[in-house]
Amino acid sequence: MMEMVISIANLSYTYHDGTPALKGVSLDISRGESVGVIGPNGAGKTTLLLHLNGILMSNNGIVKILGIEARKENIKGIRRDVGLVFQDPDDQLFMPTVFDDVAFGPINMGYAEEEVRERVAQALEWVGMDGCEQRSPQHLSVGEKRRIAIATILSMSPQILVIDEPTANLDPRAKWELTVLLRGMSMTKIVASHDLEMIAALCKRTIILDDGKIVADDATRNIMSNIALLESHGLAPASRIIEPQDRGPLLNR
Amino acid sequence: MKHHPEIDKYAGLSSPIHNWDPRAKLIAILGLIVAIVLIPDLEIALVGLAIALTLALISRIPFSFMLKHMMWVIMFIAPLFVIVSLTPSGGIEHASLIAVKALAAVILIFPMIGTMRFDTTVKALERLKIPSKLVQMIMFAYRYIFVFSGEFQRMFTSLTSRGFRKRTNIYTLSTTGKLIGMLFVRSLDRSERVFNAMVSRGYEGNLKTLVDFEMHTADVLKAAILIAIAVALNVVCLTVV
Repeated sequence: MMEMVISIANLSYTYHDGTPALKGVSLDISRGESVGVIGPNGAGKTTLLLHLNGILMSNNGIVKILGIEARKENIKGIRRDVGLVFQDPDDQLFMPTVFDDVAFGPINMGYAEEEVRERVAQALEWVGMDGCEQRSPQHLSVGEKRRIAIATILSMSPQILVIDEPTANLDPRAKWELTVLLRGMSMTKIVASHDLEMIAALCKRTIILDDGKIVADDATRNIMSNIALLESHGLAPASRIIEPQDRGPLLNR
Repeated sequence: MKHHPEIDKYAGLSSPIHNWDPRAKLIAILGLIVAIVLIPDLEIALVGLAIALTLALISRIPFSFMLKHMMWVIMFIAPLFVIVSLTPSGGIEHASLIAVKALAAVILIFPMIGTMRFDTTVKALERLKIPSKLVQMIMFAYRYIFVFSGEFQRMFTSLTSRGFRKRTNIYTLSTTGKLIGMLFVRSLDRSERVFNAMVSRGYEGNLKTLVDFEMHTADVLKAAILIAIAVALNVVCLTVV
């Protein structure tokens, strides 16, 4: 049997204002898998991802990372093993220079200065951004920011890479370049997105999350060919859009 | 994207002030600023102003750039000059003293922080044992001011494209107020997400960075000269008065 790197059992989470975000999610992911998490806005994708490295912790349900249950006591180790790349690179890149940002994780993990510098150089080379060490985030393009956001996680050499909407706001060229980059990374990957094209190119397995529940978990090939399933969760491909007949008085002028 | 005025625009130049160790530079010039502010005598304050101008000249930062950034300060100093010179306890000489000292202090800001990248300034402050919370606030303010001003401009463009025009009326005020309110709400949301991103990478309250600062004899010498000038300016005042 394959080693389970992520094992979630019956996880529920309710926000402070009483909005339920996750309702009994169970999920097992084995080493080396690439799993796409798709679902409409507000389905709970980001909430689920935030549980994977203990940003959110629920009393309801169990999250095990590499066989260890996520708790306050062992959170530091879990955050080293699970790298989380946030959706907006302006949230991910908070330091004044690219170097400081990519070095932030390794420094906090307690590596020696020389090793930190090596890790930064290596991570920037992986994402094709070497030579940008001294640039400031406000002078980078969206595509460049995405790559560096990923480098800030790679420099910590996580065993599991979790990415929220990696292709949002990217033009097609930047999107495919990023997809190719992610494909080349061998660690376990979990990618949340609305971008079915990218998920299809990147992930062998896909999960549909809707209204806080996992409603489908199958090979990406099967999910993408099941148009009825996609449609019923608001994920229909563009070819299925129906021309509206009557748009009402405001738009028919 | 709109271009933002940046204080460290000329950090890439090369001058004896640019290649000065950031920590020594901050302390020495700050010392000089304090010394100038303490001067009670107009003639010696003018010498202080001359020293400030000399340092600015050495730093090779264009005077046009400094003048552009000093406009707001001058707009503040000018009315003060008029008011103080008209009061009985003030007079022209007293007003000039205040104006000259203020100008000298503001000019010194440019050789002090305009000659290194802003992130270097922040790291130097950190190495000088300025409280970490304060350093982090300065750093994040600088990092996110561009993000927020971009957000504000986008919101404003969206208003303008739907027919909003700035006028002097209550409607304009209340709309602008709501806009600023929205910006605060968005900033709060963002700060939470940024905090999550920081915690994800092992943040525990302290900022840790790597720097390659090296203090050489020349750095110490430059600092010593400036501090000596700063002390001399005030000692001269004591003997004259």
